Amino acid sequence: MPFMEFVNFYLMPGIVLGSIYALGAVGITLVFGILRFAHLAHGDLATFGAFTALGVVTIFGVSPWVALPVAMVVCASLAIGIDKLFYDYLSERPKIIVVMSSLGIALMLRAVVQVVWGVDTETYTRGIVRPDDYWGIRIRDREIYTIIAMFVIVGVLWAFLQKTRWGKAMRAMSDNPDLALLSGVDNRKITMLTWGIVGILCAASGFFLGINTELKPLMGWTMLLPMFAAAILGGVGRAEGAVIGGLIVGIVEETSVLFIPGEYKAALAFAILLLILLVRPTGLLKGKVL
Amino acid sequence: MTSQAIAEQPMANNSMQQKYSGKPILTMADVRGGYGDADILQGINMQVTEQEIVVIVGPNGAGKSTAMKAIFGLLKVRGGSIVVNGTEIAGWKPNRIVQHGVCYVPQVNNIFREMTIHENLEMGAFLRKGDIYESLERVYTLFPDLKERRNALAGNLSGGQRQMVAMGRALMLNPSLLLLDEPTAGLSPKYMEQIFEITRNLRNAGLSILLVEQHAKQALAFADKGYVLAAGNNRHEGTGQELLADREVAEMFLGG
Ligand SMILES: Nc1ncnc2c1ncn2[C@@H]1O[C@H](COP(=O)(O)OP(=O)(O)OP(=O)(O)O)[C@@H](O)[C@H]1O
Ligand SMILES: [Mg+2]
Repeated sequence: MPFMEFVNFYLMPGIVLGSIYALGAVGITLVFGILRFAHLAHGDLATFGAFTALGVVTIFGVSPWVALPVAMVVCASLAIGIDKLFYDYLSERPKIIVVMSSLGIALMLRAVVQVVWGVDTETYTRGIVRPDDYWGIRIRDREIYTIIAMFVIVGVLWAFLQKTRWGKAMRAMSDNPDLALLSGVDNRKITMLTWGIVGILCAASGFFLGINTELKPLMGWTMLLPMFAAAILGGVGRAEGAVIGGLIVGIVEETSVLFIPGEYKAALAFAILLLILLVRPTGLLKGKVL
Repeated sequence: MTSQAIAEQPMANNSMQQKYSGKPILTMADVRGGYGDADILQGINMQVTEQEIVVIVGPNGAGKSTAMKAIFGLLKVRGGSIVVNGTEIAGWKPNRIVQHGVCYVPQVNNIFREMTIHENLEMGAFLRKGDIYESLERVYTLFPDLKERRNALAGNLSGGQRQMVAMGRALMLNPSLLLLDEPTAGLSPKYMEQIFEITRNLRNAGLSILLVEQHAKQALAFADKGYVLAAGNNRHEGTGQELLADREVAEMFLGG
């Protein structure tokens, strides 16, 4: 197979899909690192974000790109609200209870999407977009934007975590929660901040999945496993790791069809997850041991 | 006002008879509490006055760390009173206690491993909104080793340097009372001497320090006051020299 064909039909789509996974995986790794549980409603929160953007597009007739920030704000508020109503209420209970409740939240969010928008497949814009040719690389504008947006969003988040007072407090909480409390960090504020950021990331990953493919009520749920695989592959608690993990899982999934039947694509994320847990449970960048 | 007059002022919430001169910074009276239902602390009494090093010694499991956690609001205090700077603080959350001028260096897990030395110190000053430059310089002057390696991850440092990071973090808020839980555990004699030296300098600069120590003889030698705890109770108290001279204390708790 010619090299450019590999790039255009397998590598580029892999990077695009990987960018979408990365956005979700960064959120998962933040929840893991700071709040210390596996957030199973992550995918469905992304679905909700994608459909919120669709709602804005249909009601106001604006471009999807205008709808994205709105969806981010809605998802951030929703995530903070869900935490207040459910996760915070359960915070003194064993973590497995919180994990199970997040599964319940996932089902609730999906039900809301199905009631409001129905169960049909939707798109942000109609018509077929043909890819442009850049020095032999064929790629659509929206795919370029997806990749750029992922790096910009994660870059801003990274700078926030490294350079700002509250960003450092989030890292401190992830590193040593008891000592963070002793240093006067307010647990509640960090939790709310984390959920706000997670909501924004979820909305972005759902939106970019929607704009590159279609919107379906199950779209986020099917991303959940690859996103978890990406977070663990990168090292739990490591945002940079989640990006690397997301890109790897995306590229492996897209290129796998060269070697194995496409129906097994979904099982690949699971295989990667098992492999990394067996070989290097701390992930590629050294993260927390689960 | 003369110091005599200060000493005669009735202290709020403080019924304990004042045995030592100087303004009380911390007074624990009949403190009871524990982790689960059982009381580990069975009525602890302690007092730290201004510009004093008070050393707590006692066997493993005596409740020394538990007493410190009780002061810092990390366990349920079921009875008694804990007064700091004239205010009852029993039942307060740790971040409120920090704002009240008490900082604490736990026995274990007392640094942010994944953060640099500099960031550890910044976290120590988290509650301070203003400029922290002066506090940083002060800590770096106390621990010159840390300044050199300010951008190194704290988790990669040697045991002695980690302990310095932990102390530096706690000093960033300029507390009036510092709680140190076995800061020299596992350190070489050289580092131990250095930590003790810094502790004395801090006291001489006006800080009050409550210090739990396994190196009991060395610590009592410079302590202004000492308490021996055993099985969650006060056993002995006195000046450092008195405890060192006490035969029973020496036999039972200082290894003869
Ligand atoms: N987190 C905890 N939960 C339940 N029990 C605890 C906990 N920490 C300590 N204990 C118990 O409380 C008692 C006192 O422990 P504490 O840590 O205060 O002892 P210590 O005097 O500091 O001893 P050491 O010299 O070993 O540090 C012990 O019996 C210990 O088993
Ligand atoms: Mg102890």
